[in-house]
Amino acid sequence: MESTRGLKAIIGNFFRKKGQMGAQASSATFLVTVGFVIAVACAAASWVIWWFPYHLFSDEVYNVVVVNAPDSFIQFNEETQEYRDQEARAYGDRYNYFANWGHMTYFEYSYDGYGWTEFIYKESDALYDFVTFGEWMRDNDAYLTVVFPADFDEQIKARQEGLTEDKPEVLTYYRTNSLEYSDMKNEFIDEYLAYYQGSIRADYGIAVTTVSDSHIVHDPIPTADENDDFNIGANLNRTFVPILLFIVLLYASMSTGTNVIAGQKERGTFTGILLTPMPRQHIALGYLIGVVLKAIIPAAVIALIASLLSFRFNILSFLAILVYLLVLEIFIASITILISVINDTVVSAQTAFLPVFLILVSVCVTCIQSVSERADFYMYIPVHGQFYGIGDALNGSVDFAGLIVSSILTLTLTAVIMIITVKLLYHERYTVSIDTVTEKEIKESQSGGKPSFLTRLNKATDNFSFVITEIFYPLVVLSFYQFLAMIPVVVSYMRKAEYSSFIRDLANVGSVNDIINKTFEIISIFFKDPLYLTLMTVGYIAIILTYIFHAGRVWKIKGFRKKAAAVGYPLSGAKHIAKHYFLGLIIGFAMLSATVGIMYLTGQISFAGFNLNTASLGVFALNLLMWVPQGASEEIMFRGYMIPAFSRRYKKAIGVAVSAILFSAFHSLNSGYTPLASFNLVLIAVLFALIYLLTDDIWMTSAIHTAWNLTQGNIYGLQVSGNNAANSVIKTFYYKNSAPIITGGDFGPEGGLAVTAVTVVCLVIVALLLWRKHKKSKT
Amino acid sequence: MIRVMDVHKSYTKEKETIKGVSFEVKKGEIFGLLGPNGAGKTTLMQMIATLMKPTSGIIVIDGLTADKDLLEIHKRIGFLTNEIKLDPMSTPNRLFDFFAELYDIPKEQLYQRRKESFERFGIGPFADKRINELSTGMKQKISIAISLIHNPPIIIFDEPTNGLDILTSKQVTDYLMDLKEQGHAIILSTHIFSVAEALCDEIAILVDGRIAAQGSVKELVDQTGAENFEKAFFKIYVDNHVE
Repeated sequence: MESTRGLKAIIGNFFRKKGQMGAQASSATFLVTVGFVIAVACAAASWVIWWFPYHLFSDEVYNVVVVNAPDSFIQFNEETQEYRDQEARAYGDRYNYFANWGHMTYFEYSYDGYGWTEFIYKESDALYDFVTFGEWMRDNDAYLTVVFPADFDEQIKARQEGLTEDKPEVLTYYRTNSLEYSDMKNEFIDEYLAYYQGSIRADYGIAVTTVSDSHIVHDPIPTADENDDFNIGANLNRTFVPILLFIVLLYASMSTGTNVIAGQKERGTFTGILLTPMPRQHIALGYLIGVVLKAIIPAAVIALIASLLSFRFNILSFLAILVYLLVLEIFIASITILISVINDTVVSAQTAFLPVFLILVSVCVTCIQSVSERADFYMYIPVHGQFYGIGDALNGSVDFAGLIVSSILTLTLTAVIMIITVKLLYHERYTVSIDTVTEKEIKESQSGGKPSFLTRLNKATDNFSFVITEIFYPLVVLSFYQFLAMIPVVVSYMRKAEYSSFIRDLANVGSVNDIINKTFEIISIFFKDPLYLTLMTVGYIAIILTYIFHAGRVWKIKGFRKKAAAVGYPLSGAKHIAKHYFLGLIIGFAMLSATVGIMYLTGQISFAGFNLNTASLGVFALNLLMWVPQGASEEIMFRGYMIPAFSRRYKKAIGVAVSAILFSAFHSLNSGYTPLASFNLVLIAVLFALIYLLTDDIWMTSAIHTAWNLTQGNIYGLQVSGNNAANSVIKTFYYKNSAPIITGGDFGPEGGLAVTAVTVVCLVIVALLLWRKHKKSKT
Repeated sequence: MIRVMDVHKSYTKEKETIKGVSFEVKKGEIFGLLGPNGAGKTTLMQMIATLMKPTSGIIVIDGLTADKDLLEIHKRIGFLTNEIKLDPMSTPNRLFDFFAELYDIPKEQLYQRRKESFERFGIGPFADKRINELSTGMKQKISIAISLIHNPPIIIFDEPTNGLDILTSKQVTDYLMDLKEQGHAIILSTHIFSVAEALCDEIAILVDGRIAAQGSVKELVDQTGAENFEKAFFKIYVDNHVE
């Protein structure tokens, strides 16, 4: 008689705080937990994004586009120009007051002070072409479009002569993504246009005493719910929400799934369970159910939030989403269990799961790309079926045939995977492998014989998975947080109707190159976005913490201070730290200034004076703030963690070399990348590595890194590794005949010989210092 | 209870780790396996405990073989080896509960067994402490208690007193004597001659994957003509080990 008590016990263990499985929180688990909290927060915040005080940071959005401006209006504007200039000066002083004291908002002045307003005149026959109007507003930093009929003055005259009773109609279009724009619009209509009406009355002598004389229609740009082509919410439901759910399921399954069997093998607790009279299929099933339950709960919560926010919530479609999620999670969990059985350690299992992760995410991406022109059969096949099914259900439509067929097919696939898993669980290679290998190794070392093929294979796989993990870890960690930081920003941009077409273009890109270019185009826009800068600052800090905990786990170090010290951030000795950091800031500034000096003296660049205006100070400050954890996070990834990680296994020189090559390769996706840039980045990485070895911490290199990027992007206004920084103190121009070989072209100075020269000089100095330190320590 | 018949085991094609081993262990008997590191003790015990399959040969446990009645065998054996660890974040109490569920032990019986083991080994005061906070000796005693939670008729202990102090060692050996008297069949591997001498009814000396000699302590000493058991062991080892 078989009892289900054991099964229940195994599942129950998943939910015990200090239970058998939950024992070692891997950094992946940590990542998931942190990321998860952020993701939920982002998902919720994305829909209510207007809390973010955009106007505090907004560039001068107080212009007005005037379409088909009648002569009378142009004349009126010219007459009022002087008055508006005065007003602008007055408000300018008051704006400065805000900038200094900060307790009054810039906004109060900008909208009631239409004195700053510039009128952009356009012509159009189409009075309702809001898409074009939206583009004009975006391109001209305008919040309002006023559309006159082409024959406005004639209509007024006709009315004056009593030929008609119709009032000429003036349309207004305004940006709907901010409530403030609506206020600004009202203000403009109630005051400025009212004055204009007064001037019409004066000019034409017609008795117009009320505002209603000229009929003004408040006609906002249609938002998602009013127009199907602009159905942003629905698009979001079909793209970002499913991919978010996929990633949550994948991460949660990976962290628990790889921990259960591989983790227990690593800790030696698995054999004890195998020795009990529990059938192996029950053991496998218990783990499967445990992983499924653990991963499905957060995903279901997100799905519920998304459903409630999609305004198309109905119980049936939500139940369908749950079924899709459950089937998908069972499938993913079975893969993690299989991988967990094959591998002997958590790290190797996670490495082995990485390709699966990437494949499934790429499937999501292909689904996003073809969301509009998908073939029907996609609804019936595994993974695609769930992706489209969840998206459709969020939009309120459930394809039951697709649900049933895709579920059956997916579960069949899962059954095959589970049968293989159970078969493997009966195989000694996957249950007691560690012992046999060590025993053999002892014997070989005693007999001095050649290691067997299997042992060598095992070592090779071990090295391979170590190297792969180390290479991919920074990439995965960085892209994970970058992705999270992007979600709310992308969503907030989609809410801005005029950007939505731009974002939607992402779904229509053809090649990988397109995707990269488009992404960088978008990131360069985001880099001017205060929300993105804020989130990335938080993200970089999260990366640093992730690395500290990851190192602590891998190297088995307890205590936060010790963990931080192990990755190059010793926390004791504030004076010492401050000295290193301050010195680093100076070195970074000096190095970059020397580079700029070389470029200036060789006649490559010229300075065009100061560039910083008061309005962009907020973004500028956020930018500066972001460089601090940004530099530190790259230092912890490529120096503080990677060099010791490799040095523990191989020689120190290999650690330096690998980290330098990876550091360079890591930047290869950036735009304008050249062979010289890659060479320079290797040089810089080696320089930083040597400074790390010289100072025994990464405080100084972090400071150099931060100062370097900051000086480059925000002081001299040059590209930072292919990225455009938003605001700079000095505006720098390249001469038309400047040589990219010296200046680095689109990649920025790091792609040019000027940086090579400066770096080589520094390398020589640091190498000498290191040599001296080495000699001293010997004697 | 245990019959091992001409068992061979090789991990690789070239090299055999176990080169034909046969022996029998009866009810109420303690059978000792003695040998240097790498002689194949652990491999042999893992095969008896069904964790590995012999390349050739048969192992019969209480009339059952692992091919057909794997789970029935699991109900009848208690296996202890250094490689099996306790979950460091769990507590003795929780481990007892967990394994009781896996072995499907009724609640009242579990209560009884827990009480007995806790009393015998003095686990009581540590019952709700985390395993990683406990001493090596305490961990080993808990391991023993858990490996025998289902009161198996056959006990396979790999180095049960390894790394323990004298007092704890004594507790363990006393327990094994009690178990023997209760009629359990016990296989024991050890490095410690005094333990082997004191406990084992029958001893097999394993050298290079073969049983070089087998018999009671007295028989082995007589066979070799050595002064004591320790010297007898080394004599057998030197005679049989091939460099």
